[in-house]
Amino acid sequence: MMKKKNLTPGAVLGIVLVTLFAILCLLPLVYMVAVSFTDSETLYIKLRDLRPSLYNYWYAIVKRDFGTALKNSIITVVGSCLLVDIASAMAAYGFEKKPVPGKEALFQGYLATMMIPGQVVLIPMFVMINRAGLTNTYAALILPMVGAFGIFLMRQFMVAVPNELLEAAEIDGCGEVRRFITIVLPLVQPALITLTIFTFNAAWNNFLWPLIINTRPEMRVLPVTMSTLASNSTTNYGMVMAGATLTFLFPFVLYIFLQRQFVEGIALGGVKG
Amino acid sequence: MSALPSLRAKSSARRRRQALIGAAYIAPSFILMLIFNVVPIFLSAYFSFTKYNMAAPPQWIGLDNYAKLLSNRVLTEALRNTVKYVLITVPVQTALSLLIAAFIAERMKNRYGSLMRSIIFIPVIVSLIASATVWNIMYQPKGGLINQLLNFLGFDSVNFLGKKAYALPSVAVVAIWKNTGYYMVIYYAGVMNVPPDVREAAIVDGATPIQRFWYITLPILKPITYMIVTLGIIGSFQVFDLVYKMTGGGPGRSTYTVAYVIYTFAFQDKNFGYASSVAICLLIVILLIHMVQTLLFKEKDA
Repeated sequence: MMKKKNLTPGAVLGIVLVTLFAILCLLPLVYMVAVSFTDSETLYIKLRDLRPSLYNYWYAIVKRDFGTALKNSIITVVGSCLLVDIASAMAAYGFEKKPVPGKEALFQGYLATMMIPGQVVLIPMFVMINRAGLTNTYAALILPMVGAFGIFLMRQFMVAVPNELLEAAEIDGCGEVRRFITIVLPLVQPALITLTIFTFNAAWNNFLWPLIINTRPEMRVLPVTMSTLASNSTTNYGMVMAGATLTFLFPFVLYIFLQRQFVEGIALGGVKG
Repeated sequence: MSALPSLRAKSSARRRRQALIGAAYIAPSFILMLIFNVVPIFLSAYFSFTKYNMAAPPQWIGLDNYAKLLSNRVLTEALRNTVKYVLITVPVQTALSLLIAAFIAERMKNRYGSLMRSIIFIPVIVSLIASATVWNIMYQPKGGLINQLLNFLGFDSVNFLGKKAYALPSVAVVAIWKNTGYYMVIYYAGVMNVPPDVREAAIVDGATPIQRFWYITLPILKPITYMIVTLGIIGSFQVFDLVYKMTGGGPGRSTYTVAYVIYTFAFQDKNFGYASSVAICLLIVILLIHMVQTLLFKEKDA
């Protein structure tokens, strides 16, 4: 097998370069984890300073509000994923399967919103959320997460739901809502998983909006706490890196288990959009 | 004869009912996107003609904000920095992702290659704030990993984020580290769509791998390249998190960017009207970039 692909010097060089780049991709993260397990407050890490002690993690979680931030991030992410999945699947079903007049024009309007940069809507959103008295709430973080991308993604999959199946179920006396929940949703499950991954990452990593809208310390999410933590304690590198590792850990575990969906979702969204 | 109209009435009633049900399915997303996407655009445009700090109602001042934009040195510097940042990140991340995707597809279609793809994608899932934190520590003049490495090789330490000349490129490196894997995945999907017989025909004709890349892969991937460059420009144009965390705009104003300026005008100076006029200009620039991309696509189709 290997002999069929003769390894020219060029090919060897290429393989070495790709490997080198992969190492460079990984290196900052390895360093992050290594420093998070170091007692030393200097950065000159010696092997004898490395110990499998969770002290830095304990300190970040208990003493520096990382526990609160973790809780807030998890609530925000779960809320966002549920809302985005449900609202997007419903909209995609309405657009694809129902004879709503003017729906294609409306869909184009939805797609156009994808071009709006976040900074343009930031100030009015800040004013509106303030006026509505929703600052320092989970709702302020969750409600703006619904966007055209999710609906676009879901609609790609909604096309494949056979109309005959829906009609047959209707004739059998299966009601509208039950058809949506028991027939449509299971059929578009792969898209729901992909959308959940995207929403998870967007909500988990969201920074600027939570920074300005949820200013009370007990309502901060991970990236915001991470940011204040690193500025207030410039020398306690171990603890800062423990915080960074915690922030990275959840999306990383998701990636390990759902790598295919991650990559396919990006390729799909990218090639089409 | 009389059964037909009644049947038609029934079916049109059914259609109307279905349309209503459909509208009900669309309604939740419609309301949310109206509130958080559409209304803010108009509000932003309105604020941009006013003096506004939330304490008092907006006060109409016409084009005053826009008139002050071009004479604002902070803003012109930010614009120059942003363009510089785009010019560093976009070509490098596009070229790297293309070369890696093409090479892996050509030469490393095995488990090792797929492992490399998996690893190169990992930085994509690291949050920008965590990335900025880790790289900040790596860039430390005293004892940061990169300077330790430089010292080990016999070079002097470099103050990456503290020197005006180095700060912006150092931030750009982090963006490139984080983005390359994302675009590589898109390119890889594109390369895999190249029909195998095209490739085989070229091999039969005696084309070298470099010739095949240059004359076959590259032209076929042109639409994806357009898209990746567009996405890259738009993404880099809005850089905020990295600058906020890594340099705070400094040293001096050497890493002030457009998005960072909007943030400081609005949330530090409490000058919502003026910040909105910058935001509206940003929107116009982004829409222009989209238009150029659409035109390029059309040209290709014709």
